[in-house]
Amino acid sequence: MQTTTTMFFSKMHPFIVFTYFVSLTILTMFTKHPLLLLLSLISSVVLNCLLDWRSFVKSLKWFIPIGIVTALVNPLISHDGETPLLYVNHQAITLEALAYGINMSVLFLAMFFWLNALSKIMTTDQFIYLFGNVSPKLALLLSITMRLIQLLNYQLQQIVSAQKAIGLDPSTGNVIQRLKAAMRILSILITWALENAMESSHSMKARGFGLKGRTTFAIYRWSKRDTKYALPFLFFLIVQLVFIWSKQDVFIFIRHLLKCHFLFYLS
Amino acid sequence: MAFIEFKDVRFTYPKKIDPALNEINLQIERGEFVVLCGLSGCGKTTLLKQLKQEIAPFGEKEGSIVFDGQPLHTLSERDQATRIGYVMQNPDQQLVTDKVWHELAFGLENLGMPTNEIRRRVAEMAHYFGIQNWFHDDTATLSGGQKQLVNLASVMVMQPDVLLLDEPTSQLDPIAAVEFIRTVHQLQRELGITVIMIEHRLEELFSIANRIIVLHEGQVVANDTPRAVIRKMKTEQLVPAFQLSFPASVQLQYTLQKAVADVALTIQQGQEWIRHELPKGEILENPTRTEKRPIALEIRNSHFSYSMHEQDVLRDFSLQLYEGEIFTLLGGNGSGKTTAMKVMTGLLKSRGGTVSLYGKPFKKYEKSKVYREWIGICPQNPQTIFTAKTVLLELQDVTSVWTMSEEEKRQKERAIAAQLKITHLFEQHPYDLSGGEQQKVALAKVLLNNPSIICLDEPTKGMDFDSKQQLATFLTQLKQQGKTIFIVTHDLEFSALYADRAALFFDGEIVSCAPTNSFFTGNHFYTTAVHRMTRQWIQGATTLPQLIHYAKKECAYVEA
Repeated sequence: MQTTTTMFFSKMHPFIVFTYFVSLTILTMFTKHPLLLLLSLISSVVLNCLLDWRSFVKSLKWFIPIGIVTALVNPLISHDGETPLLYVNHQAITLEALAYGINMSVLFLAMFFWLNALSKIMTTDQFIYLFGNVSPKLALLLSITMRLIQLLNYQLQQIVSAQKAIGLDPSTGNVIQRLKAAMRILSILITWALENAMESSHSMKARGFGLKGRTTFAIYRWSKRDTKYALPFLFFLIVQLVFIWSKQDVFIFIRHLLKCHFLFYLS
Repeated sequence: MAFIEFKDVRFTYPKKIDPALNEINLQIERGEFVVLCGLSGCGKTTLLKQLKQEIAPFGEKEGSIVFDGQPLHTLSERDQATRIGYVMQNPDQQLVTDKVWHELAFGLENLGMPTNEIRRRVAEMAHYFGIQNWFHDDTATLSGGQKQLVNLASVMVMQPDVLLLDEPTSQLDPIAAVEFIRTVHQLQRELGITVIMIEHRLEELFSIANRIIVLHEGQVVANDTPRAVIRKMKTEQLVPAFQLSFPASVQLQYTLQKAVADVALTIQQGQEWIRHELPKGEILENPTRTEKRPIALEIRNSHFSYSMHEQDVLRDFSLQLYEGEIFTLLGGNGSGKTTAMKVMTGLLKSRGGTVSLYGKPFKKYEKSKVYREWIGICPQNPQTIFTAKTVLLELQDVTSVWTMSEEEKRQKERAIAAQLKITHLFEQHPYDLSGGEQQKVALAKVLLNNPSIICLDEPTKGMDFDSKQQLATFLTQLKQQGKTIFIVTHDLEFSALYADRAALFFDGEIVSCAPTNSFFTGNHFYTTAVHRMTRQWIQGATTLPQLIHYAKKECAYVEA
């Protein structure tokens, strides 16, 4: 689903997108201040909703239980604190421990949500571009792997369908029959994949694969607009780091980052 | 001096005694459009691959191949990759990367070009082929025609001098096929590339090609301009089985006249000839069988989509299959014909609507029995049902679940193999067989269970005319035994010749359904070559035999 927010991020150079989200995540990880963490959580939720609220809401059914569990683990383990709420087996469940637990839970959830947003925005193309600069061979390998995954998936569906049609449905019958059917399907898929690999390798060789001096085509180029986005981001990041290092309270800046980007987008 | 020259070339595959290529002497000039044709297995692909050393098969080679003045094997690897381009048959197998732009850039990346140069060439090529709009798409989401276009573009971006194409349209529907051939022709005319294409579909190519080379059993049988080749093959009665692949207009003229100076190659020329030579008239259809036959399979008001978020593939889809008929479902590639077949046969669940088999709803049948006794489905890709090392083991794989005695099982296997003429292939690995042979083995597996309704999904892909005829004879035999045959295809000629009824599938439903003759005479574009030639002059002609019969009757022509 392509919302305007997703489009906004996809127009940026992948390096910016990647660094932005990773730095947000790392900053969140190292913050202990509950208010900051809460702000981080709220903004990450807002961003996720702007990107793709349907699948985000669906994923919440996993995240909320995890959040609750995380919040409860700490008070169950640690019994330090001054205000006991209740007693279990002569061990005190304290308010402080619960508070710390909730804080931890908020931290985890915020982290998950930022990374979730990243996964929605970054395409395989962009990953390949970023890591391909490290190694062109890796970039090509990733590209071919992605293609193979799509192809094998499709072929698997075809095989299952064909097997069903000659009475060897892998989803009916007792356990042994189903296992046999599954093995048979796997065997067909592998044979086909090997045969296909031969033809693909011919196709690659026919276009000169293996010649010396292979380059990688970079489809992303840094533009002036990217510099326009990168500078304020870099500025705020540096300010944030300075504040952390000097151990002062920083409220505003994480949220500033997010809002500034939106300002630029709206302008 | 010719641009490409084959001198006394001989090639034998390892462990074989007979050579695959025998005394090939050819000269091809720069900028020619050459079509290489012949029956299946005559050595066309082997010959073509000799020109592309990186993918040439292993074996004993004799003779020499000269390319632009120097022996082919002395050409540098880089030159071989750039100057000679090769497009293969199967669009999926050639695509290597996951994005269109990456596929286009792949060859240039291999050559070590700088990014700017790659960008320039890729942009140029994408623009020429009209790929700009789907430049960023995943290769997996493209249609067959688009995939083949990307393959062609990714070869052309390296700016070759020669373009070698091995049956590039065999996996495409007729419309995509014609478009592809026209694109290649455009490339030859506008850029002066030499094109050597192997093809079975000769209807378009005979009027485009500069030269036709016909191979038979590893030897060059004809090598000349299209009209000269036709004349030679007809007068010397060479390879009659292959002559069936000639364009309809050619076959018409030759069957009715002894010698023609300027034989008609295109539909338009054929039209002119017919209006000149044959009287205006009408072909009356044979009365269809009027006795009431039971309905074998019926589907009513069915809806289907793959998920809630996607469009309906079937929309109020209704169809009736009568017992003992050959029915063809026609429609473009990707229109959903295969999905329709799967819903009809219960492989996919129809949302809303009913599916009934011989009057009883589908649900009432025992699931494990349906696909063995009642319905048999031969998939588009026969390799999806091959599980064993040899053809014999494939058949035994099917009989292994039966409860008969071993002796009876062997007997049944041999009977089916004899019927389909695949007994001589028993010891071969299924993947080593040709496309048509694989199709037969898949069919044998399906038929062993002796189902009453047999469904075939695109059985004629990549087959030459002769093989299609053999398949059709076999299907007619089955029909006479009382079986119902349902074929999903985009091969209009096959449908017109051999089917009883045909239906057009479009936009999720059946748009027209009628006995084949009425079906094809009712269409303007989506119809056979013969009908397009005779429309408005001779009513009701859709197949060549019909037309020849009419001509003989009306004009007392003597058969050539």
